[in-house]
Amino acid sequence: MTQYLFQQLVNGLALGSLYALVAIGFSMIYGIVRLINFAHGDLVMIGAFTSLAMVVGGVPWPLILLFVLVVGAMAGVTIGAVIFRPLLGAPQVTGFIATLAVSIVIQNSALMILTGQPRNFLFPAVMRERVTFGTVQASVTDLLIIGLTLVLIAGLFFVVYRTRLGVAMRATAENLTAARLMGVAVHRTILAAFAIGSALAATAGLLWGGKFGQIDPLLGFVPGLKAFVACVIGGVGSIGGAMLGGYILGLAEVLFVGLLPQEFSGYRDSFVFGLLIVILLLKPSGLFVRHVEERA
Amino acid sequence: MLEVEGLNVWRGATHVLKDVSFTVAAGELAALIGANGAGKSTTLLTLSGLLRARSGSARFGTLDLTHAKPERIVKAGLIHCPEGRQIFQSLTVAENLAMGAYVRGGRIAPETMAEIHTLFPILKEREGVAAGTLSGGEQMMLAMARALIASPKLLLLDEPSLGLAPKAVETIFDVIEALKKRGIPILLIEQNAAMALDIADRAYVMEQGRIALSGTGRELAGNDRVRQFYLGAT
Repeated sequence: MTQYLFQQLVNGLALGSLYALVAIGFSMIYGIVRLINFAHGDLVMIGAFTSLAMVVGGVPWPLILLFVLVVGAMAGVTIGAVIFRPLLGAPQVTGFIATLAVSIVIQNSALMILTGQPRNFLFPAVMRERVTFGTVQASVTDLLIIGLTLVLIAGLFFVVYRTRLGVAMRATAENLTAARLMGVAVHRTILAAFAIGSALAATAGLLWGGKFGQIDPLLGFVPGLKAFVACVIGGVGSIGGAMLGGYILGLAEVLFVGLLPQEFSGYRDSFVFGLLIVILLLKPSGLFVRHVEERA
Repeated sequence: MLEVEGLNVWRGATHVLKDVSFTVAAGELAALIGANGAGKSTTLLTLSGLLRARSGSARFGTLDLTHAKPERIVKAGLIHCPEGRQIFQSLTVAENLAMGAYVRGGRIAPETMAEIHTLFPILKEREGVAAGTLSGGEQMMLAMARALIASPKLLLLDEPSLGLAPKAVETIFDVIEALKKRGIPILLIEQNAAMALDIADRAYVMEQGRIALSGTGRELAGNDRVRQFYLGAT
């Protein structure tokens, strides 16, 4: 029983890490341009296929990680520059529809180029082994996902709270006009937020492929949606909230499946969205946001 | 120093500034007074590059303000302390000050910081707290400190006394006078026309988007029209 619980815990944390990585970028982008980016999940897919292409090409794994970060950042900057910049100041609905359109374009281009056939995605053999701690075991892949996510999140917090760029991003997110009056080149700052958030999502794609072993062009839809739920749980626009929301969602999902009788496990997503409804009813601004500031 | 000539600015379908011309000379405190909606804030936003003029010119030294990007204008030393303070509420006091130094790498020289702390001792005490928790007067001091850290060659102040308690208004005006003594040129927008004209070297009255009157602060304070409409004399 302890082994079972421990395994569920590690599994839930790993899944939560993936949700957190996607949700953080989602939240950063919402925070700075006030737009829900439905194309954000597709960066997970882009990251996964970029990784697969490099695995096939024989690129060493550490380099793949670096490459995926760069490709994700570039894809995010492209989406930001092509779609969001012209729409800055447009009604929210316009931006919302535009992101749906981008998502559809990305998914269908990927279907055309890659076909809908799922492909196997295998981490090196060592990653598929299990390590034993006393009486309990955990998979190396899950542990890697948890560890790498913590490193990336620590790096992100350093950038956002300790650097000039990070202070400028938070300032721009709160008050665009005042940031411009301080001499912040806000368009560049906004694109930096896209780059960072998208790089994290693409890395989640690499790890997603490794954890589930199969990838396809539509794989970004579910993580995108779950990241949105994680953001709502934590409070949209807050980076720490999105991170905690991701972990809560991952753990809750695994616990629903693990603790309820077998025949309910097919309903895991209904539990997740049920949780969302309950939280929206009880605390609409999110669990970790003390108050919501309306911008004038 | 600042020369504005025949400036026309539209906001949407509204012609807000109509052939506005005025100057601010080196070391001078100029006041721009007028009713709500006369175009004072629009004037400042145009000078900062946030609004674009349809015609006319605005020159700050050699820089053409009607075409320069806002960040270029800030770098040149034209610093705008906006209406309603507009401090970053969720950032700490120290981070707000660092934003003032953004174009110079975000670093504040220790002597500049010491100077700021002499002018506004309260900001030293509150360094680490979120700026949104400060009182209105303290937020205004923070907004002015943030502008000063940018080492202005010309400071634009938009309604610094608006909504403040009388005591805080006094403090703010003391600071403005201290800055004037240091020779920092200031363009001041004020609802409180009496206090503004009292310290201004030069003043302009704006009515419906035009400069209606100009003169020294003392001249305008003695002008019948100004006394009747802006100083509340009967």
